[in-house]
Amino acid sequence: MIEILSVTGPASIQDLGRFDQYRFGVGTSGAMDDVALRAGNIMLGNDENAAAVEIPMMPFRLRFDRNIAFALTGAAVEAEIAGRAIPPWWRSYARAGDILNIKAMSHGARSYLAVSGGIDVPMVMGSRSTQFRGEFGGLHGRPLQAGDILPCAASTAVFGELGIEPAGITLARTNGAADETIVRVIVAGEYEAFDATAQDLFWSSSWTITPQSNRYGYRLQGPAVQPKAPVEKRSHGIVPGVIQIPPNGQPIIQMRDAQTSGGYPKIATVIGADLWRVGQARLGGKLRFEQTAYTDALAAEGEMSAYLDRLRANMRLVEEARTCR
Amino acid sequence: MPIETTDIARLAQILENSGVDTIEIEEPGLTLKLVVATRLRTAASASRAAATAPAADHFVMAKADVAGHFRAAHPWQDKPFVAPGQRIEAGATLGLVKIGLLYAPVVAPTAGIVDAVIAETGAMVGYGTPIVRILPRAPGNPLN
Repeated sequence: MIEILSVTGPASIQDLGRFDQYRFGVGTSGAMDDVALRAGNIMLGNDENAAAVEIPMMPFRLRFDRNIAFALTGAAVEAEIAGRAIPPWWRSYARAGDILNIKAMSHGARSYLAVSGGIDVPMVMGSRSTQFRGEFGGLHGRPLQAGDILPCAASTAVFGELGIEPAGITLARTNGAADETIVRVIVAGEYEAFDATAQDLFWSSSWTITPQSNRYGYRLQGPAVQPKAPVEKRSHGIVPGVIQIPPNGQPIIQMRDAQTSGGYPKIATVIGADLWRVGQARLGGKLRFEQTAYTDALAAEGEMSAYLDRLRANMRLVEEARTCR
Repeated sequence: MPIETTDIARLAQILENSGVDTIEIEEPGLTLKLVVATRLRTAASASRAAATAPAADHFVMAKADVAGHFRAAHPWQDKPFVAPGQRIEAGATLGLVKIGLLYAPVVAPTAGIVDAVIAETGAMVGYGTPIVRILPRAPGNPLN
């Protein structure tokens, strides 16, 4: 078990998401940075869909009540286990009573704590992810708070300390100015409702991520992007990554806790391979959109899969070498 | 194929350069065991080094235990894991060896003070390559 000692922002339990209930209006939820979640689980030999703790703000402290291996991935954090510093994207080992102290986040926006065997909260509609809006899943459907006890699946696996190269390094893209993330998008249904000037504003602007951004969506600030004429659509299906333009002309990117439908016109959609980059973009940081073709989006997806495949292969080699010794 | 004396000399040289203590080669009808005792390593392990030996002989070497490229700092952290003069505990991470996507830690074999980081970032290291020289904390003489 894990006891939460102190928590700052809305930390939650997330797996890869709830994908089979969309038709009933139940959104996916799931880790904002699914690559980091998978990587943490790969390091521990877990099912890649095992639930972990998503930690958006520091400090965050917890105590392990038994010997257990864990991995920290996602944002670059300054962390200590039993007073010993651990680097980012690291697998380590706690003894019963050890305190994990995540003190600061130097870049990125969300850290993931995966444990050997996974966080063992009940499965609700096919997922352990916390659904804030519906108040179910995770631990009682709510953000974690001090005093919470998280059950961990039994696991006897013993691992040594080891790190892996963060996805942000292997899959690095040339970014614009400092703290500006370039995000690849595909134009969406109502793109043609915007004239050339409005479209150009959308592509050329550097969009600031406002404090009204969270797991539901990122609200951006920049010049107003207005359609040729007001667009009023009936509510229709939307997915995480969709960029809507509400009447004020300030884009909203739907994230993991997005509703399953909405009526604002959609100008573009973040490609699947870049959604984790948005999840790791910080409040106050900037986003720039780069138009991408469908085939390039698939190629980007391929690069992401290749990184995960290499991780799996590298980890297999290490475990084989270990059992041979 | 028989092992020549020149081969043994060459092997001994390789051992000495790489910081590996021992190598054993077994072939049908032949066993060769080479044990190299370098100044640093005998000093580190021998208790007789005590009174008269110069201070330099007290050093303990943290070595790489896998082959790969050495990194003194995590690529996301500006500060190296350790710097000369720094006090460390046994088991502390002193640096990384990068193999593919993996980062294997170089671990302090003993508590003490970092004397020098010998390996350079980016350098290829192998099993037994000296990475960090440590002045161990003598029992009964704790450092403050």
